[in-house]
Amino acid sequence: MNAKKVSANVVAVLIAAFFAFPTYWMVTTALKPKKDLLSSDFDLIPSSVTNSNFVTAWTKPGFLQSLGNSLLVSLSAVVAALVIGLLAALALSRMRFRGRKGFVMLMLVAQMAPFEALLIPMFLMMRDLGLYEQLSSLVLIYFAVTLPFCAWTLRGFVNGIPIELEEAAMVDGCGRWGAFRRVTLPLLGPGLVATSVFAFITAWNEFLFAKVMVRAEDKETLPVWLSGFQSAFGTDWGGAMAASALFTVPVLVFFLIVQRKMVTGVTAGAVKG
Amino acid sequence: MTAVETTDAAVPVRNSSPAPRRAVAGGARRRRGSAFDRLLPYLLLAPAVIGILWLIGFPVVSVVVTSFRKLDLGELVRGQIVWVGLDNYTKVLSDPRFWEITIRTVVFTAAVVATSVVVGLAIALLMRQLSTPIRILLQICMLLAWAMPIIASTTVYQWIFDQQYGILNKILVKLGFDFAGYSWFSTGTATLSVIGLLIVWQAIPFLAFSLYAGVIGVPADLYEAAGIDGATAWQTFRAVTWPELKPLLMMVTFLSLLWDFKVFTQIWVFKEGGPSGGSTTLPVLQYLEGISQSHFGVAAAVSVLMVVILTLLTVSYLRKLLQTQEGKL
Repeated sequence: MNAKKVSANVVAVLIAAFFAFPTYWMVTTALKPKKDLLSSDFDLIPSSVTNSNFVTAWTKPGFLQSLGNSLLVSLSAVVAALVIGLLAALALSRMRFRGRKGFVMLMLVAQMAPFEALLIPMFLMMRDLGLYEQLSSLVLIYFAVTLPFCAWTLRGFVNGIPIELEEAAMVDGCGRWGAFRRVTLPLLGPGLVATSVFAFITAWNEFLFAKVMVRAEDKETLPVWLSGFQSAFGTDWGGAMAASALFTVPVLVFFLIVQRKMVTGVTAGAVKG
Repeated sequence: MTAVETTDAAVPVRNSSPAPRRAVAGGARRRRGSAFDRLLPYLLLAPAVIGILWLIGFPVVSVVVTSFRKLDLGELVRGQIVWVGLDNYTKVLSDPRFWEITIRTVVFTAAVVATSVVVGLAIALLMRQLSTPIRILLQICMLLAWAMPIIASTTVYQWIFDQQYGILNKILVKLGFDFAGYSWFSTGTATLSVIGLLIVWQAIPFLAFSLYAGVIGVPADLYEAAGIDGATAWQTFRAVTWPELKPLLMMVTFLSLLWDFKVFTQIWVFKEGGPSGGSTTLPVLQYLEGISQSHFGVAAAVSVLMVVILTLLTVSYLRKLLQTQEGKL
């Protein structure tokens, strides 16, 4: 290795440390005993380790409730968006019909809709529907946020599956449904997983609507609950970090599964020139 | 969330009803143009289209309509409809605070987008130079930052930057600087700088990964040719890497603009737009007007203006994008 290559690697390690540090700090803080946290000692490396912060966070009133709410809302929204998005994707990708172009453009434009700017009408609409203060308002909103993304992304994945395979299955006696179920759906598996994970993370992260639409404490989602940690934890940073870590784990696991697949997916259509 | 185009792989979109031979299949044999076949695509699309029109289309119309109404808590409770024409817009646009906030939002967005795109590109270029284990290490560390839920990372940053016990001040003191008890949130600009760092930190991984995918996609013989011609590193970048990466770079810049302009969570959780309104951006203003003070008409006007500004920022790329996509269909 020449000097240039060595220095590039050194710089890369420093950058890696910069990106990893908050995760490191979150985990080590969560593991430190309470007395070590509110001290002015220099404590980059924990001197002793405890699980008491995780116990505190886990048993804090509202944590499990809001975890459940978050899971319920995110999963229902994503399952609905995925199924309905897949139906639309199949039509847009596999069929020829009048107005197809317009529908494709509708999906493209809809996923660029700046949802934050629709806060007021969404609030008024949910109020009119009697869904204000109901978790179902969040299900509807997250469904709307993720649906165009799911339809658009899945259309790309379906386009990537050669139609000849379906045709071959039909020649061999499958019906259209059979060809879809036995050929297309299995091949679509990775795409479905990747799309659903990204949609799930969007819903899992969402804060603004969750804060506005439901105010009752027993209906808070995890981001809202965690954002109010200072009232819940006081200066208990250990508990707050443990809660943050617990909030991160599911996302991290999902993310590691699909990351590679999606990077190319999101940007492959960059405009030339 | 936004994904602009997924792998439109080698297989072109084609007609999918290739006169299926399904003599065996249970029901009646359907011919190519049967009513069911013609209706099927619309039936498949119906739920999605209804969902989009109801939950996106209607609010889009409604936000514009609401911005022409006086709608405070009183009108809302009484169900009263009071048209005030452009009053909400006059009120918002004649408020010097609005312009201050708008400029702050635009500058903040521009700074965050520019920093994250430039650093993301630098890291993407750097990754090509690395030995494999170091590159994987860097990728894993960036993945950790990318995957952390926004509220979790915001909470961690608050703790790192904590005035009394934050590790950052402790490190700075250790290095000999007088940062004991230093507050990073004493002014709006300082607060926004920390928030900007948080956003950049979390935005770079996506940018670096996508741009790296673009970098390794540049044909190697172009670099060889540049090397034979004796080009310097900078000349190689200008003549080879830049033209190949430009489309991708514009795309990720566009996506970053869309995402970073609308940031609410981090700003709100840090200081709720404070101290004394110093870190308030347009999304925060919209929330304060609409939700905190129940001036729904005024807030709707702010929302509309927000979209107008965002459109102005992205219009040239947006136009190109829509044209290209339409051409592809």
